[in-house]
Amino acid sequence: MVETSYIPQTLEEALRIRKETGAKPLAGGTDLMVMHRRGTGVVPSFPWPVMIISSLEELKYIRREGDDIVIGSGTTCHAIEDDPSVPYAVRTAASLMGAESLRNLATIGGNVCNASPKADLPVPLIMMDAKVTLVSATGSRTLLLDEFITGPKETDLKDDELLLEVRIPLPEKDYSHVWYRKIGTRKANAISKLSLSAAVTLDADGFIKDFRSANGASGPKVARSTEVEKILEGKNVTEIPSVLEQFLDAYDAILSPHAMPTYRRLSTRRMLAHFLTEVASGTQNMIVT
Amino acid sequence: MIDEIRFTLNNSEVAITCDPLKRLLDVLREDFGLFGTKEACGEGECGACSVLMNGRLITTCMVPVGAVKGKEIMTIEGLRETERGKTIIEAFADGGAVQCGFCIPGMVVAAESLLSRNAKPTEDEIRLGIAGNLCRCTGYDLIVESIKLASERGEGLW
Repeated sequence: MVETSYIPQTLEEALRIRKETGAKPLAGGTDLMVMHRRGTGVVPSFPWPVMIISSLEELKYIRREGDDIVIGSGTTCHAIEDDPSVPYAVRTAASLMGAESLRNLATIGGNVCNASPKADLPVPLIMMDAKVTLVSATGSRTLLLDEFITGPKETDLKDDELLLEVRIPLPEKDYSHVWYRKIGTRKANAISKLSLSAAVTLDADGFIKDFRSANGASGPKVARSTEVEKILEGKNVTEIPSVLEQFLDAYDAILSPHAMPTYRRLSTRRMLAHFLTEVASGTQNMIVT
Repeated sequence: MIDEIRFTLNNSEVAITCDPLKRLLDVLREDFGLFGTKEACGEGECGACSVLMNGRLITTCMVPVGAVKGKEIMTIEGLRETERGKTIIEAFADGGAVQCGFCIPGMVVAAESLLSRNAKPTEDEIRLGIAGNLCRCTGYDLIVESIKLASERGEGLW
């Protein structure tokens, strides 16, 4: 009998199984077990060998390394939302991902590697230029999360690799304003219809040193454009009203032309306008809600 | 050869030999005869199949039994033997929280999970605590009030 599932006890064993059999990892199971379910009393059927990696304690950590917050791929959303060292937008996205019972299972690694265009965590992560580190039996590599996710449900994960950790570079200076907003049909367990994360850093004179924003569920992958962000950089908050329309039009152009464009475009414009209006209103160091 | 999967179920050591991808929900109901854990949606939306894993609320329809190796599982059958479980169940009965009853085991487990982290929850906190559990009969108000009642009666238990 060919084994179709494995339960490795160490990362080393998992990497060996991955290399030898090509078994695909199953972490929390909240996406995969539902995707491959066959009904009551019937064992879910996967078209590939599976390894259950949820008991790999080596992948469960949140720690600070230099100027980065590093989150192990097996860390659950609940652990992420509970840890004050994790940046606000990421923590908030984790806390809104589903009901508690789901957040106790779902992992950051699963959310990233499933690469759903509607995934919640990649939105603030890509906004913050997060990187992913992939390991195999023979080595490791680190690349930008935005480059790792190549399309809807598609990543650059190689057949012998596993996601080790997500690395979030902390900004040099804390964001002056930061925002995360998710729109779904139900408070718990909703899949995002649209999500947006934005952050701005102002200097003492009110000039925008850094602006960034990213959209989820509005295209084949998270939408972000550093070109468009530059429209706001260097401007004073007092100039925001005069460049707002130009910025919103440019931002609009990076959203996918598909899938209920009017609704998503209009909501994105209104959310960004709200965020920037709050920024322009002058309150310092605030979390915009 | 498939290895034995050992775990703790309602404070007893148990072992099962089966496909590790079999859902914990099916293992609990079919192999251990614990029918208090219900299946409704089967995709993690409704909370009817909720149990505690190492004290944390999970939905068993999304968990392969292989992931439970070495863990502690507490179902409604285990919970109802504890003082805390009895307090919640009595409060549900006295508070009129139960109509058809299908969602109730999951609600009771979610209430235990909530109260173990927050012994004196506000109404909003209670609603958030059971946000992953759907009831199609009572409209939640009586369930929320019953959890409040349990938290008052169970002073010092959590």
